[in-house]
Amino acid sequence: MANVSSHPQRISVAAYFHKWAGVVPFLLFAFFFLIWPSAKLMVDAFFDQTGHFTFSNLAELFENPTVVRAYKLSIQVSAVTALGGGIFGFLLAYSVTVGGLPRFLRSGLITFSAVASNFAGVPLAFAFVATLGRTGFITAVLKNLLGINIYDAGFNLYSFMGLSLAYMYFQFPLMVLIMAPALDALKREWREAAEILGATTLQYWWNIALPVLLPSILGTMFLLFANAFGAYATAYALTGGSLPLITIQLRAQIQGDVLHNPSLGYAMSMGMIIIMAISTLGYIWLQSRSERWLK
Amino acid sequence: MNLSRYHITRRTGDRRGFSFWSWIWFFLGALYFILPLYATLDFSLRMERDKISLLAYQKAFAAPEFLKTFIYSNVLAVITIFVSILVIVPAAYWIRLRLPEARRVIEYITILSIVIPAIVLAHGLNTVYGAPIKIPFTDVALTGAILNTRFGTNFVVVMGYTVLALPLMYRSIDTGMRTVDVLTLTEAAQSLGANWFTIITRVILPNLRGSLLSGALLTFAIVVGEVTISTVLYVQTFSPYLWLLGQHRAYEPAALSFASFLMIWASMGIIQLVTGGQGQTSSAR
Amino acid sequence: MAYLTLSNISKQFGDSYAVENFNLDIEKGEFVSFLGPSGCGKTTTLRVVAGFEIPTSGMITLGGVDITDKAPNQRNVGMIFQAYALFPNMTVSQNIGFGLRIHKEPESAIKQRVDEMLSLINLEKHADKYPYQLSGGQQQRVALARALANRPQVLLLDEPLSALDAKIRVSLRAEIRAIQKRLGITAIFVTHDQEEALSISDRIVVMYEGKAEQVGTPFEIYNFPKTQFVANFVGSLNNADAEVLDPTNGLLSVDGVQFRTADAEMVNRRRGDKVRISIRPERFSFAAEPLKDNVVDCLIENITFLGSVVRIQVKIGNTKFNMDTFNNPFLDLPAIGSKEQVMCSKEAVLVLGTA
Repeated sequence: MANVSSHPQRISVAAYFHKWAGVVPFLLFAFFFLIWPSAKLMVDAFFDQTGHFTFSNLAELFENPTVVRAYKLSIQVSAVTALGGGIFGFLLAYSVTVGGLPRFLRSGLITFSAVASNFAGVPLAFAFVATLGRTGFITAVLKNLLGINIYDAGFNLYSFMGLSLAYMYFQFPLMVLIMAPALDALKREWREAAEILGATTLQYWWNIALPVLLPSILGTMFLLFANAFGAYATAYALTGGSLPLITIQLRAQIQGDVLHNPSLGYAMSMGMIIIMAISTLGYIWLQSRSERWLK
Repeated sequence: MNLSRYHITRRTGDRRGFSFWSWIWFFLGALYFILPLYATLDFSLRMERDKISLLAYQKAFAAPEFLKTFIYSNVLAVITIFVSILVIVPAAYWIRLRLPEARRVIEYITILSIVIPAIVLAHGLNTVYGAPIKIPFTDVALTGAILNTRFGTNFVVVMGYTVLALPLMYRSIDTGMRTVDVLTLTEAAQSLGANWFTIITRVILPNLRGSLLSGALLTFAIVVGEVTISTVLYVQTFSPYLWLLGQHRAYEPAALSFASFLMIWASMGIIQLVTGGQGQTSSAR
Repeated sequence: MAYLTLSNISKQFGDSYAVENFNLDIEKGEFVSFLGPSGCGKTTTLRVVAGFEIPTSGMITLGGVDITDKAPNQRNVGMIFQAYALFPNMTVSQNIGFGLRIHKEPESAIKQRVDEMLSLINLEKHADKYPYQLSGGQQQRVALARALANRPQVLLLDEPLSALDAKIRVSLRAEIRAIQKRLGITAIFVTHDQEEALSISDRIVVMYEGKAEQVGTPFEIYNFPKTQFVANFVGSLNNADAEVLDPTNGLLSVDGVQFRTADAEMVNRRRGDKVRISIRPERFSFAAEPLKDNVVDCLIENITFLGSVVRIQVKIGNTKFNMDTFNNPFLDLPAIGSKEQVMCSKEAVLVLGTA
């Protein structure tokens, strides 16, 4: 440390200010444009139209059918894409690390994952429309080559299924980007030690590798959940607001008082923040646990 | 006893068994990722009936609205990058040099910006800055509604973008500072007699070129792709324009979408080159 | 037939040989070290025995059975690694019992064996700890117990002490040797530290660039090195160029100073040949009486106190030699710059290779 010497304990106000000086812009910025706006929403959730303190807004989160349905749908989409994205993302990461595919495929996948996770939003939605929309590429191929009309069979891009499929485009990469280093951290000696003690590959994975990776896998799934839950752009661009996710509902509420109660909008925000916080905390906690073993 | 035998691959079943499934997963993944891109490209090239042409691209790039919104987004992106650097670099530097205790606070704030979804942030910014700012518990207004002015709106939007880019920029800069060991560099520079300004401009910032560049490119991607805050605060940036375009036209949006994919690919390529393989994720969802 | 035989083991990577024509017969219960610098092929050879590397040619037999084609998990060998490789998600007991559980031994037998191993390594109190809660030395002992619990026929140790602190290294190597002797288990120990190899091995194989330079007991390797490399790598050595004066009488000239040697190499030399000679520093002593064959004048250049050993740098003729003598606080050491007489026996002068 540059300045650790035998200072007397009392620091003057000027020195104290000086100590924190570099961090002040950051803190001010965070306060004005992150903390205050979020806090205001959460605080206002406790007040009704007339300015009185109330829990009724929060209560209505559980009672208003529109809101409940929205939360449920968002949670479902997030859970499905977290699980699906987590599992297949893991398999992808596995294939290019422990799975022994050539190095160039690995760097290709990693770079592409970085790209794909930034591609989300409007362009992603359009890409999927071009692929699986009513006149999409795959839709056409399946219809013309195999005679299968997926829309007749019940598939709809602008539904839960279609949206989840589109979400995977940034869920898979996120999983890959986080799990690839974790898989790399599996020491080769563990595998060899297990083998020399008589274990087969399967026994090694079941007894050692998967248990060691599990906190990381689960933790990242929590992150994937949060990622999907807070997503707005892709959903809006794809479904135009027809799929009542909580983020879409909130947007509608901001635009115009669709719920006939602006305070409810604040409560919805608060609910979202809480769910996001739980999910993110789950991720952080599990990540720290995995680091204990994977260091 | 056969003393010289040539073993090629023993335990073939074992080793090859691995690779087989790996190829399957990889192939499936590649299929999933490539098909939508191919479909978009294919569609974008078919504006002229029965012909492959770049007409959609020509029309899209020639549209005056495109240029206007694209430049607007880029300008906002550049300003966002500057604000991010101004806000983050001193803080990241400070916590390494003088104030390690503040690291936790900074990191919690970074986490907070992940926890708060963009739409909620937009709602919050709209609520706070869409009304006059009053002294608490009074009716005395310090300022008018900032969002009422064009400048005010741009200002708040840039700040919102900065919040979105915060986790990435911070991680980029922090990693860069750790790799370069700014503490030791600073002490070396100080012992050679440099003042603070010299240290920051001639020692620290040049060594952070890689992180700053990758952070900047990621911020670009985030800002140009950003739709949530932009639509809530009514700024005519690129992505809202792209969405609007998609409501009326078919081929040009596909062309622009594929073009933006190429741009992101180029950016990531540059980042890879500059940082040597430190892929970063973003969250423009 | 020996218990563990390696016959003509070669391992090629691309065009180069990591191991070339390695032959060794190891008896049951023997402790053999592979000693050499990085890249000499010692670890590759060990991994061939373990089954992690497939030899390009050659054969390995264990207890009379050809195991060259067997997978590592079929060989009944035990191995411990430089990085300990304890399974982080299992406690000490679970780690030790892992091999037994894989072989589907009954729980009671496993528990008994694990307890046995724990008392063998003196870590009974740590049975329920996780690896990250143990020190490096403790982790390596658990690794040892884990390998031994499986009752392997051979124990392979891949630089197990290199990651540990100096003091632990010394105590742990003694412990490993004691356990090995007690259990009578055959062991191959890979190291680049010659002190380690010398102190605990029954035999040492000194390796260089993929080949075995010399195989012998520690005494033989140190006192009668066969090649320049072995002489240089094991212990410290004085080297000098010399010219043969009289092969039958073993006379050499080192820069004008006459030395007599008893090295059998001399029969192959003719007068006028240029050779390299080596003399161990501790074979020099101050000439009290002209008892030895080689008594020469020298100039004291430098004296370094190394603890139990005092290293004196002398100049004989124009050549610098190091002379090591045991520290004795009551013995007068000569002053720097003074002229003294030193001596060494003719057996101490080794003739190794050509200049």
